[in-house]
Amino acid sequence: ILEKTESGSDARRRILNIAVSTILLEAGFDAADKMSLETLTEMLQCFLSEVGNSAKGYCELSGRVEPVLGDVMMALLNMGINLHGLEQYAARPNRHVIQPPQQ
Amino acid sequence: MQMSRIGSPSVGMDEDSGAGHALSDFLLQLENYNPSIPDSVVAYYLNMSGFESQDPRLIRLIALASQKFLSDIVNDALQHCKMRTSSQMTQSSKNQKGPKEKKYVMTMDDLAPALQEYGITAKKPHYFV
Repeated sequence: ILEKTESGSDARRRILNIAVSTILLEAGFDAADKMSLETLTEMLQCFLSEVGNSAKGYCELSGRVEPVLGDVMMALLNMGINLHGLEQYAARPNRHVIQPPQQ
Repeated sequence: MQMSRIGSPSVGMDEDSGAGHALSDFLLQLENYNPSIPDSVVAYYLNMSGFESQDPRLIRLIALASQKFLSDIVNDALQHCKMRTSSQMTQSSKNQKGPKEKKYVMTMDDLAPALQEYGITAKKPHYFV
């Protein structure tokens, strides 16, 4: 079981790595050294955990069980995330979708 | 008691009611939109921190927000990289002229100042495994 979970987290981590690499390529970088790639991957993982934690906090604070859009927004705003231009970012032309892992 | 419970979220919502309205419209569009990061991966990390939602749109919104966050930082790092390489190019342009193809390589030298602007301090560890 330990080996199974190990490979599972590796697979997720690899997908985050691919995601960071795609973002770098989209921005116009041609290459990256291992440490900066790993730093950004770690940041992405922390970002997701932090949003989840914070949104859950706001959700439970208002006595709900299931998070709603407002909770997620409060979490993002409280983290100082700039949400302007998110729609344009979503519609950017050269985006690349990563294949989800096989279950 | 009741007042403060209702009052505190509405204070936060007042500041961004415009953005909030646009975002709820945007959320409807996320129904058939795929962000780069697969839903299952994002959902896993969210579940790890206690967030559980049946609504895939919220997960997609978070995935998009995280992508944009990194994208903004990476763009800043690219500007740093371009500035650094162009100053190096002008120094070495005396020796070799003609357009040399530029290759942008991200290093910690570019990333660290970009992160610093966002209030994140990244330090180079003494060793890296």
